[in-house]
Amino acid sequence: MIKKLMAFALFASSVALTFVGCSPQTENVDTINDQGKAVMQLDYRDFDRAASQMVQSMVESGTFKKEGGGRYVVAKGRIVNDTMQHIDTDQLMGKVEQEMTRSGLVVMTAAVGAGNAPKDSLVYSSRELTRDSDKADEFNKDTVQAKGQLIAPELSISGKIIQRNIRYDNGKQQVEYYFQLQMNNLTNGLVFWQNEIVLGKRGDSKKVPW
Amino acid sequence: MRLMLNTLLLVVAVGLWGCQEEDKRVTMAEDVKSDNVVVNIVTKPVIHAFSWVIGEGVEIDKAVTYVNKDGFLQLEIQGHNRAFNPIVFEYKVEWLDKAGMVVDTTTSKWLQTSAAAKAPFAIKAVAPRTTAVAFRMNTRKIPN
Repeated sequence: MIKKLMAFALFASSVALTFVGCSPQTENVDTINDQGKAVMQLDYRDFDRAASQMVQSMVESGTFKKEGGGRYVVAKGRIVNDTMQHIDTDQLMGKVEQEMTRSGLVVMTAAVGAGNAPKDSLVYSSRELTRDSDKADEFNKDTVQAKGQLIAPELSISGKIIQRNIRYDNGKQQVEYYFQLQMNNLTNGLVFWQNEIVLGKRGDSKKVPW
Repeated sequence: MRLMLNTLLLVVAVGLWGCQEEDKRVTMAEDVKSDNVVVNIVTKPVIHAFSWVIGEGVEIDKAVTYVNKDGFLQLEIQGHNRAFNPIVFEYKVEWLDKAGMVVDTTTSKWLQTSAAAKAPFAIKAVAPRTTAVAFRMNTRKIPN
């Protein structure tokens, strides 16, 4: 009986070890030269591609060179996610803002944002605390932000990410992603620059694109 | 003798008509343009097979760079696809500064492009920094 139990335990453990050996190992993604297959959803490579092409389009347009020198102050407007996926639109905008700022053409403001929400709430809360609160006396007056120092934005950037699903014959589907961005002149409301990047994916209709 | 001479003249005439100079700015796809003595329904499979055997693909003709009015280096790679099928591939452009160091930019990513069959193509890129003075480019097959 004991022999049978031991034999069963040995068999069970060897089967378990076999399955453990077959399970895919966790590995770090080579984000520099990723050889991974395309996926129906949006992954980081798609955001990289869209952001890269958007930035190059902005730089090539030649519209961001300010007459008389200096840089345009840009506020981030609303980026609508009209896809079936839970996307943080900063995945796209973070790259675009970073690269445009580093290009020396524009500077982003953290004081003004879409829906009257500043990009960084500390811009105002630090003023309230250090200048207007009962703790204001604790701060060196020379280091406290004076009134009338914030720079108003001249341009705003807004956009949309759209998804369209199209069913093909032979059990295939096509998913189209449209990345739309525009830079608007806040003084006169004119669209300063605009671009659309389309990424398409075609694959098995059983694969869920969200 | 006369029949042979006429046939020969006809072949030469058809051959010359087939080899007439085309406007190089316009690329007519193989299944769109007219067949001729050299390329026709009989010879096409042989030509395609030969092209596949010798591994014809994409070739680069030249790289044009210039600094635009805002001081950014712009690049256009001009090339052509020798194969009889479209070739989709990825490329990555890296920008180099005066010291030959790679300029750190998020635009240097693998981007996809496609070259139509037996046709020229162009790749455009813009350096997002005025410090970029040179470039290098790498290509790869689309990961399967």
